[in-house]
Amino acid sequence: MTPESPANRRRHATEAAAKVPGMVREMMVAPQRARENGDPVAYTFIQSCYDEIIQAMGITPACVENFAGVCGAKRVAIDFLERAEAEYFSRSLCTYALCGLGFDAWREEIGETPPPAPWGGLPRPDMMLGTGLAICDPRHKWFQAAQLYMPDVPVAHINLPYPPFQRGIDHHREMGHYVSYVVSELRGLITFLEKHTGRKMDYDELAARVDLVDRTWDLCWETYDLRRAVPTPMGTGDAFNTMVPLNFMQGTQQAHDFFRDLRDELQGRIDAGLGAVPKEKYRLLWGGGLAAWFALNDFDYFAELGAAFPAEVSYRLAERIDHLELPTTNDPVEHIAWRWVKYHTYWYDRAQARENSQPDVEKLIRFIEDYGIEGVVMHEAFSCRTWHPGLIWQLNHLKKIYRDIPTLVLESDMVDISSYNEENTRNMIDAFIDVIDAGK
Amino acid sequence: MEAYLTQQGLGLVEELYRDYGRRARELSAAGRGVIGYLCALVPVEIIRAAGLLPLRIKGVSEEAISDADANMETLVCSVVRAWYDVMLKGRYDYIGGLVIPHSCDSMMRTYDIWVNTLGLPYNYLVDLPHSSGGEALTFYRAVLQSFRESLARLVGHDIPDAEISRAVRAYNDYRRRVHELYEMCKCQPPRISGTEVTKTLVAGLGLPVDEATELIEGVIREVRDRPVGSGGRPRLMLFGAEQDSVDFIRIVEDAGADVVLGYFCPGAREYGTLVPETEDPLTGIAERYLNLNCARTYRDTEGCDDPLEVRFGEIGRLAREFDAEGIILMIRRCCDPFGFEVPALKRYFESRGLKTLYLEDEYTPASGRLATRIQAFLEMLPRGVGR
Repeated sequence: MTPESPANRRRHATEAAAKVPGMVREMMVAPQRARENGDPVAYTFIQSCYDEIIQAMGITPACVENFAGVCGAKRVAIDFLERAEAEYFSRSLCTYALCGLGFDAWREEIGETPPPAPWGGLPRPDMMLGTGLAICDPRHKWFQAAQLYMPDVPVAHINLPYPPFQRGIDHHREMGHYVSYVVSELRGLITFLEKHTGRKMDYDELAARVDLVDRTWDLCWETYDLRRAVPTPMGTGDAFNTMVPLNFMQGTQQAHDFFRDLRDELQGRIDAGLGAVPKEKYRLLWGGGLAAWFALNDFDYFAELGAAFPAEVSYRLAERIDHLELPTTNDPVEHIAWRWVKYHTYWYDRAQARENSQPDVEKLIRFIEDYGIEGVVMHEAFSCRTWHPGLIWQLNHLKKIYRDIPTLVLESDMVDISSYNEENTRNMIDAFIDVIDAGK
Repeated sequence: MEAYLTQQGLGLVEELYRDYGRRARELSAAGRGVIGYLCALVPVEIIRAAGLLPLRIKGVSEEAISDADANMETLVCSVVRAWYDVMLKGRYDYIGGLVIPHSCDSMMRTYDIWVNTLGLPYNYLVDLPHSSGGEALTFYRAVLQSFRESLARLVGHDIPDAEISRAVRAYNDYRRRVHELYEMCKCQPPRISGTEVTKTLVAGLGLPVDEATELIEGVIREVRDRPVGSGGRPRLMLFGAEQDSVDFIRIVEDAGADVVLGYFCPGAREYGTLVPETEDPLTGIAERYLNLNCARTYRDTEGCDDPLEVRFGEIGRLAREFDAEGIILMIRRCCDPFGFEVPALKRYFESRGLKTLYLEDEYTPASGRLATRIQAFLEMLPRGVGR
């Protein structure tokens, strides 16, 4: 996700990761092309349960978070953030959303792509697919707000709940009504899409896409599991690229084949003893927080100090399918719903089993043990109240119920570069590495 | 009203507002179970039906947020952080549990922090769909049934439908009294100030509902004969999310306006809707909470000619009913649900001829900077100060 200039190009360990910027560019261009051809285009979010559905209906996704991330990486987001602010959106709100809304307001005003937009920007969509009760508040507010600038573009809103973790409450007992609700919401979405595209859902095609996603998840899991090797063949800097096919291209053959190739490449690197970092001295976990897309070169700085990231919590949004113990069903919509609910509750039983544990902390413990982790790095993005509340507490709780381990919390944002100070960040990294060194 | 109260009406309101939670503390000492809760989206009827006293957690805006910072990031909205801060400082050390609704990310995503750092014996997170269409009612009713069972385990006995229906009637009675209180704001000048109304509503949040109803009745008796006249100050409506302190309202009134309605919680948003008294009480409760007009709940406007009227029509109708000539949108920083509403709200109100001022602030005593902006705004109104 890093379209850097050649002089400032970030180092990638894997060939696969180096290919991703081209894929990102194609993802941006595809909806523009679809628009020109008269094919339906939808504004979409990642991890919204509807990847296979829109793929099966031939709808081209225009991924709004991807657009904002690219703007952040190319350091042009500030123009759109300021435009959103001029529309009376607070700068304290989600900057992904602000970037998108600023762009939309600007494009609708001038009737063409605003000049700062990379790669032609986003085309005007035929529909916007929002989600609630799932990942974050902006997912049900963003498109509602965008409709102010595009009042004729219909918005679908679906709820995608999963049972919250509550100590002493058996979430398995709660799953039934959660899955039923998700199924009904997805069926409502299909009705909406059929109405606005004039196309009927092909359920055989949907079933095939669902199966493809299952196989892609398995491949992804198998691939990332290879990173346990010492030295690790691939780090989080690369994984913040390879998250693109995992999160933005679900339900496509390209995503599946990407992980097949990446798996083979990592196995080759392991066989050849090639590490992501030339002289791996420290093994770190990216324990939480979205990426600062404008500051991915920080991973190069870690690498210069001998620090590798064999694993990350962020964007690793897949689990091996047989681990989820999904009930058998011939209904692809039900399968999607079960996979959603089971994935999001996957760590609950483990957390219930350990005294005072909690799923996010349990996940950290598992990564620390499986990947031989010596320190945990997190990133607090000031504008995101989805992934970031509780990160500090998670680290405190990790030390309380598990063991003391060096931790580092970086602070900036995903998109807003004005929140970032490179010198301070690197001083903090230096100090953190010193602490790990002292404990060796 | 209980003998412990030495005053009535607004004198009592002042006492209870200044010493918020005093009655709950006393009842707790006498053996009554008290359950704290956040925000207007917790179905308090079920807690009361379990024989427990629901107590809304309230921040203290004059106190700097300090202890909360050790665990809760400053990117979380300052209202939630203020609530957590006072909890950590022991202000509610008599409560036996805490219920948090899935209102917004700042509440939902901090649930584990509350549970694991406060160490209360009972905690529950009540999920709530972000829209009311489709199968939302069926789903949310199932969520409420699980909540009911959880409370039944806590108190050691079933919670029968009849008890829930009784609680529904008690809260509906209270909400009707709030409507009567608002009637006192319709005349010119209002018989009761916005500051007095909010103090009354906040005080009521700390009482058993029957006592809160009596409290309001006492206030209405006290103010209903206040004189009315003609002319007077600009009439304003205030809009925002949670407003459990009167600092901001007082600044607006000190600047020379009458606050005729506060569309926040506690306020007109929270008390605008009764629970339908259905045969199955959980269904009625589910309907009410799914349809509260909060920014966190998505309003489906598919196929509507005027989507903004669907979303904000109730607020516009109240503005007309209360003869408001301007509205101040007071939005907390880091509040995604309400922050994303602002451009649409401004466009809606301005299209209806209402002057609109948008302010953003933290949960702290309102500052002089805000006072200056409010004064400038008042000068633009037909009955504006200085005209």
